[in-house]
Amino acid sequence: MTNILAFAESRNGELRKVALEAVTAARKLADATGGEVHALVVGASGIASKAEQLAKHGADVVLVAENDAFANYNPEATSAIAADRLKGGGYRVAVFATSAQGRDLAPRVAGKLGAGIVTDVIDVALNGDNLTVKHPMNIGKLVATISIQGSPAIVSLRPNTYSPVENAKAGRVENVSAPADAASSRVVVKDLVTGEKGKLDLAEAPVIVAGGRGLKAAENFKLVEDLADAFGNAAVGATRAVTDDGWRPHADQIGQTGRLVSPQLYVAVGISGAVQHLAGMRTSKTIVAINKDKDAPIFKVADYGIVGDVFEVVPALTEAVREARKGH
Amino acid sequence: MSNGRRLTVIPAEYQPPLPSSLIVREPLDAEAVPMDVVFVGGGPAGLAGAIELARLIKEDTEAGGTLGETQIAVLEKSSGLGEHSLSGAVVNPRAFQELFRDLAISDLPFRAPVTNERVYFMMGGGRAQRIPTPPTMQNHGNYIASLSEIVRWLGEKAEAAGINIFTGFPVSSLVMDGEKVIGVRTTPTGLMRDGSQGSSYTPPTDISARITVLSEGTRGSLAQAWLDQAGIKGDNPQIYALGVKEIWETKKPLDAIIHTLGWPLPNDAFGGSFMYPLTPNLVAVGIVVGMDYRQTTLDVHQLLQKLKTASPFRDYLEGGEMVEWGAKTIPEGGYYALPKKRYGDGLLIAGDAAGFVEVASLKGVHYAMQSGIYAARTIFDALKKDDVCDNTMARYDALVNSSYIASDLKERRNMRLAFQGSGLYMGGIKATLMTLTKGAFPGGQIHSEPDADAPKNVAPEEPFVPDGKLTFSKLDANFKSGNATRDTIPSHLVVGSDIPPEVAEMYVHMCPAGVYELNDGKLVVNQANCIDCKATDVIGPRWTPREGESGPKYRLM
Amino acid sequence: MKIAVCVKRVPDMDVRFKVAADGTSVDETGVKFDLNDFDAWAVEAALQLKEKAGQGEVVVISLGPNSVQETIRKALSMGADRGVHLQADRIPFDSFAIASALAAELKDGGYDLILFGKLAPDSSNSATGPIVAELLNVPCVTAISRLEMADGRGTAKREIEGAQEIVEFPLPAVLTVDEGLNTARYPSLKGIMAAKKKPLESKPAQLGESKVKIEKIELPPERAAGRIVGEGAAAVPELIKLLHTEAKVL
Repeated sequence: MTNILAFAESRNGELRKVALEAVTAARKLADATGGEVHALVVGASGIASKAEQLAKHGADVVLVAENDAFANYNPEATSAIAADRLKGGGYRVAVFATSAQGRDLAPRVAGKLGAGIVTDVIDVALNGDNLTVKHPMNIGKLVATISIQGSPAIVSLRPNTYSPVENAKAGRVENVSAPADAASSRVVVKDLVTGEKGKLDLAEAPVIVAGGRGLKAAENFKLVEDLADAFGNAAVGATRAVTDDGWRPHADQIGQTGRLVSPQLYVAVGISGAVQHLAGMRTSKTIVAINKDKDAPIFKVADYGIVGDVFEVVPALTEAVREARKGH
Repeated sequence: MSNGRRLTVIPAEYQPPLPSSLIVREPLDAEAVPMDVVFVGGGPAGLAGAIELARLIKEDTEAGGTLGETQIAVLEKSSGLGEHSLSGAVVNPRAFQELFRDLAISDLPFRAPVTNERVYFMMGGGRAQRIPTPPTMQNHGNYIASLSEIVRWLGEKAEAAGINIFTGFPVSSLVMDGEKVIGVRTTPTGLMRDGSQGSSYTPPTDISARITVLSEGTRGSLAQAWLDQAGIKGDNPQIYALGVKEIWETKKPLDAIIHTLGWPLPNDAFGGSFMYPLTPNLVAVGIVVGMDYRQTTLDVHQLLQKLKTASPFRDYLEGGEMVEWGAKTIPEGGYYALPKKRYGDGLLIAGDAAGFVEVASLKGVHYAMQSGIYAARTIFDALKKDDVCDNTMARYDALVNSSYIASDLKERRNMRLAFQGSGLYMGGIKATLMTLTKGAFPGGQIHSEPDADAPKNVAPEEPFVPDGKLTFSKLDANFKSGNATRDTIPSHLVVGSDIPPEVAEMYVHMCPAGVYELNDGKLVVNQANCIDCKATDVIGPRWTPREGESGPKYRLM
Repeated sequence: MKIAVCVKRVPDMDVRFKVAADGTSVDETGVKFDLNDFDAWAVEAALQLKEKAGQGEVVVISLGPNSVQETIRKALSMGADRGVHLQADRIPFDSFAIASALAAELKDGGYDLILFGKLAPDSSNSATGPIVAELLNVPCVTAISRLEMADGRGTAKREIEGAQEIVEFPLPAVLTVDEGLNTARYPSLKGIMAAKKKPLESKPAQLGESKVKIEKIELPPERAAGRIVGEGAAAVPELIKLLHTEAKVL
């Protein structure tokens, strides 16, 4: 049997977009082998209701581990559930997301199983029993093709590289028992402090508007926020110089030492394009740059550039985006 | 000119004085790190000196001597050895052979021997005329090399010899007690732009030394300050050239070293260009221009960009890729610009900091190393005698003066000076006569003026649009220097007050790294772009030592 | 408090990398190496904990060829007490293989905390720390950007997408360090001098079996050259049009 396990990440009872991406990638693998996709979802009571959504994206079976001790991410219990299931055999690959949770979870599972693991994968393919993944190295300056021996192999996908595709399957629900005493976990997430309601995260937002030193002062980030608002589906990011200066929190930093993002549209406002920053965003599908210096390196990677004063161009762009989206 | 008005700028009128902080006269910190000998600057001079000194001490110890515990330190401002080192370079192996007697040429850090050489006179409009190689430019027996690589290699030898190499530690001040140099103080790290202490602030460290060697390289700040306070001058002031250099991976192999004269330099500027193959498809290309040039808008970086668009340069570079960029000044004053005294109580000056460069052949690396070796021999004697005072240190000047350093420089003593105020053609004729007479023509010493005193005509800016493939803007170029200086540190550049727009424009063009910008007639200083070439220190804003690990990160320069 | 910090020697990323002749590794000619930034923050965290406790030991462990001793010395010059070099011909890619060797070294060390950087920028696999935790069966918290210790327990903050997790854990534990936890100190001159005399033990690494193999390394496809749409606000309508009709993202 060559089934594929997809870990369906959730938070506060809702599936995250990366869950559907994992199921989509798993479906692709299972279709190549003729096996099934088993989606594993772990959460508090009620999480079973998400099975339908997973089935719609290609899960033949939805494995549900429901327990109120899983309201917040429970790393030890979740990794134990996943490892138990994988240990039972029959799985060639387990697919996770390279999200904050997936980065934490996938290696734990690999450690428990002694399995081969490659994270931050941008492509995964099975040819017969030969599993290969593509994995960016050296801050994206190189791409490695890596084979993983043994079953199961653990991979985690870079967010936004597999767009969720609907491909309805039965989605037969199977309950999975949680460890005897989930509350005995040594590591406990005591609190989940969420940001502003409705605020999109960098890893999942289809559009990112990011600001750099060209904005000159923290308060001018309002321009960036306004433009993100106008898009309606955008998150705000920043360069390292900006987070180092404390204009924005470290969590907003895009780059080699910060977040690696690949949105559909990346708008760089007043960003010169230091290597450290380009490393974090160069895989974006479309890049727009606005900078007053026509020689700024950012224009080398931008699909569309406007040379000009950000204080003049950005408000005009915000207005135009708002206007363009009115019809939607 | 439309209104017939002709404006000139005398750069010296706007240049601030050397900061007094370079010399402090106060006791060393009680917790000073104790060293015996400190070399300030880990280039060819400092490393060769440290290696020779370690060798002499080792031999002495093996023979029963008592200097075995001598602590030698090399302080280097860049984050890794060689990262601030830049030269052509076609190197004379002489000093290497003296320092590493057991090694064969093939063991030395050279890329290739010079086998073919060609010289062209460039006429503009894409025309270049091959001319016979002038005697001063013949390089048979010399080797093509990268100074960054040489310095890294010397560093490994020094490390193996037990020398303390401290990279990332610029020296901000010489510490003196009366006339005696007693140690050095490093720059602090972690200062914020407003001068406040950031979270990673580290205060300066004092280092005590019985002997300090200033091997800072070109336009050394401490050497300038020490010579000033001691009232030591040369017969002539030191003058400088600015060199801008790129490393290219080429599609077409290059089989010879190439030198050119003429275009794109204006006729009243002194200089030339070069192209050297490190390997047939890894090529160094550069241009060197005397800083006594005559137009405020002359821009050495742009001249290099123009140069590359013409044959023979274009033939090799087009379709290739520029992989590294850098710039550096070169002391060009030669024999008459050497300080009369290059030693003091507890102090020696070696290498470019002392001006040991022979400009006609464009060579300094072997003189730098050789002077370091002489410094080491002087120091060894002083330590043996337990006497580091002025009289003992005088041996250094005697060694240099009776060596090929002095005789080479003396033979070509007026070569560069012939060009000051003469332009290329008259200068060229004079230089030829000097070569033929081994320096006897024209008799006596040609006097020269500091570069900052040479008036510059306010000239319109020449249009230049880089294509990003063969030619590059300063910002793109700077990126290729590996420069990743923290841009929140306080500015290390001391700019004069009330800089008029014409002078500001001169700075904008003079600086190859894009540090200076003119914004609505106002001078903007992007200090983080600075790559320590020291060009503006010669005729404009002063360069001072900044936080360690700042500046470029050359690998192949 | 006894703390181990596992550090990696990584290439400076500000260069153009070349694939070596074998097609499966990186050409290291002219490449400069240094202590991984994330690992430097882990060393800093260990030093701060030790300083706060007023006593303890910080042990730095690195795996690889002899050149990693230079990396260990850097951590020692920051203030760590001693180093352990696990010898291997090269640093393997496989996180499990590395974690096995580290776990073998750490197992009987009696460490209260074992720190890692959250990621090495060269291999970019961010898996070694948690695997070591599993192999040693100790609690693990990854990518922490704040840490408080009291009464043998710790509280850490993790930046996750659009939120923060506040995580509690008992000792001993494995932690991986994210940016923002601290600013690493520069080695001082005195620190560098002192580090020369600190103990550095070198012994063969007991690498685990490797299940992951690099088949090929390539340069990523170049982004097609973009274009300047125009200058100033006047270019906005054209940009909107292109985003709508050509890029189809609006």
